[in-house]
Amino acid sequence: MSKNTAVHAPTVWGSEAMQNRISARYRKERRFRLLGLFAILLALSFLAILLFTLGAKSIGGFFQTKIELTIHFDRSLFPDLDGLNSDEASLALTRVDYAALIRQSLMDRFPDVRQRRDVRSLASLVSAGARQTLAGTVRQDPAVIGATQDIWFLASGDIDSFVKGKISRDVPESDRRVKDREVIWIDALDAAGKVKVGFNWGFFSSGDSREAELAGIWGAIVGSFLTLVVTLLFSFPIGLAAAVYLEEFAPQNKFTDLIEININNLAAVPSIVFGLLGLAVLLGFFNMPRSSPFVGGLTLGLMTLPTLIIAGRAAIKAVQPSIRDAAIGLGASPMQTVFHHVIPLAMPGILTGTIIGMARALGETAPLLMIGMVAFIVDVPESFSEAATVLPVQIFLWANSPERAFVDKTSAAIIVLLLFLILMNGLAVWLRNRFERQW
Amino acid sequence: MEKTPKMQATNVHVYYGDNHAINKVSLDVFAEDVTALIGPSGCGKSTFLRCLNRMNDSIASARVEGKITLDQQDIYDPKIDVVQLRARVGMVFQKPNPFPKSIYDNIAYGPRIHGLARNGEEMDEMVITSLQKAGLWEEVKDRLEAPGTALSGGQQQRLCIARAIAVNPEVILMDEPCSALDPIATAKIEELIEDLRGRFAIVIVTHNMQQAARVSQKTAFFHLGEVIEYGDTADIFTNPEKEKTKDYITGRYG
Ligand SMILES: Nc1ncnc2c1ncn2[C@@H]1O[C@H](COP(=O)(O)OP(=O)(O)OP(=O)(O)O)[C@@H](O)[C@H]1O
Ligand SMILES: [Mg+2]
Repeated sequence: MSKNTAVHAPTVWGSEAMQNRISARYRKERRFRLLGLFAILLALSFLAILLFTLGAKSIGGFFQTKIELTIHFDRSLFPDLDGLNSDEASLALTRVDYAALIRQSLMDRFPDVRQRRDVRSLASLVSAGARQTLAGTVRQDPAVIGATQDIWFLASGDIDSFVKGKISRDVPESDRRVKDREVIWIDALDAAGKVKVGFNWGFFSSGDSREAELAGIWGAIVGSFLTLVVTLLFSFPIGLAAAVYLEEFAPQNKFTDLIEININNLAAVPSIVFGLLGLAVLLGFFNMPRSSPFVGGLTLGLMTLPTLIIAGRAAIKAVQPSIRDAAIGLGASPMQTVFHHVIPLAMPGILTGTIIGMARALGETAPLLMIGMVAFIVDVPESFSEAATVLPVQIFLWANSPERAFVDKTSAAIIVLLLFLILMNGLAVWLRNRFERQW
Repeated sequence: MEKTPKMQATNVHVYYGDNHAINKVSLDVFAEDVTALIGPSGCGKSTFLRCLNRMNDSIASARVEGKITLDQQDIYDPKIDVVQLRARVGMVFQKPNPFPKSIYDNIAYGPRIHGLARNGEEMDEMVITSLQKAGLWEEVKDRLEAPGTALSGGQQQRLCIARAIAVNPEVILMDEPCSALDPIATAKIEELIEDLRGRFAIVIVTHNMQQAARVSQKTAFFHLGEVIEYGDTADIFTNPEKEKTKDYITGRYG
């Protein structure tokens, strides 16, 4: 003891060397903090650029050009509805040549257009969906037959892009999808106050379409929802059971080690491999319906399972051992200990893992391409076995379309997808806080 | 008069892998006594205590040899039901570990899983008497729905004792129940142990010599996994047979 004190001189805390060490430490700390700040700023700026460009483009997708036409519901074009019951009447109404009504209206407005070809391109100012709009109007109120009414129609995709300035009139006509003639017509309509850009509610209520102005994401949203329901119902119980078993009941030996390694491996396997698995097993072997949310959900469920198991195990492992001891010490069986104490305490972690897994599944495209969810589907799916598409695949499909109008749709769909992801991740945070705040 | 022991350990060895933590320990626990286990840190008191209700089962590396009986019945017999054994031999841990549930549910949990109450009234009754026995009733009677984790450390420990006695065990094992408590809370727990004596056989591990002297009738001195001396508390503290025991209780150990 006395020897040591002799060797070590007492520390002079105020010495210059000590001061230098302290300021060096502060410098290091400052440098590290700056570096961290820089990293975060860099990441944020990329995010900002992404959101800004997407946001700017998506506005075009959320808004749609409309053209107002004065339609005369010429009685001679309609069948006689007297004496027909409602079924027969609506059947008869589907055979009406609504396109002629629209053509007539446009020809009345532009009397100098008479050539057959010109009339056709005049009629293509409005969307092909205009006929459905008219049919709907008549179905709702057959009394309009014989009357004249001003009705707003969706403009066709190219006209829409032109009105929004996405197609420039300075480009030579030969390179422009909207020809000079059409420009003159649309300018005339605009001057008469017959053109407006309005919020595109149809984007949120309709399925996909070949016509950009008619295409919506409701079908994809429903498809995504159905698919995720299957994914959740499949992977949550299995993942939880596997996590609980591995963490609480499985013996520790070479075999369980091997299982653990494999699960970790599976979590890192590229998602497309799960798509191939789904293709070979679910479609090839079990002959399940192609392109259906059921198969898509199972495939994504397989993909999510390892993530879920890992998150679940981590959450279960994090439960204080003292709680387990307390339950066992009272004579609770291992099952009771797990179900009464461990799982409730691990729930926030399990739920967070689940929602993050679901969010990943929501954004997944590649495996779904493998099982045929890439098909062009107009109808909004109504069951788990119907052909459907999902949001990211819809984005993929639109991104591959040549029309200018689909570019905006793509951005708009991405924004919607991001919103859903934010919603889900927010839900994860909320659930975690809620469950943790309880005690 | 020869008393029959409530629990009897005969030539017990415990190994953690290669670590021989308990070496040939034989010890009798009597129903009407409080038995204190004392000894330096790491000598195996907790390990031995945990053998008495087979809490060591959950430690993968632990291996127990020898014989431990409860009412002449071998508790390591494969035919014995461990769950029931742990209900008969309850445990209070060093660190208070209430469930993150209400005070009421903390107490009611044991009776509930063992089906001890036939209806809600009986359950209420059981919760109240347990809290009263544990000397906690006056402090919590207005807030039975409050979380057990919101109590103070001493209150939590008494809650854990109440939880243990709610199951109506025959033996209660306490592993340093006062080590995290202030002198007042400690005094309350000691009073409580005094109250409980006779109704339950109690085995308590403690580092506090005065506490051992105050609350126990029997004392076992552990050292390096062996029982150096075991006998009436009065004898151990006033007139120890072994030199080591004397050194330890007079604080000259080490
Ligand atoms: N879970 C375990 N795994 C491996 N070894 C253990 C385990 N628990 C205890 N041991 C070892 O067993 C021996 C006895 O430990 P034990 O906890 O019984 O001591 P103790 O007398 O209770 O000490 P303390 O008074 O500090 O609580 C020690 O050497 C310890 O390292
Ligand atoms: Mg101990």
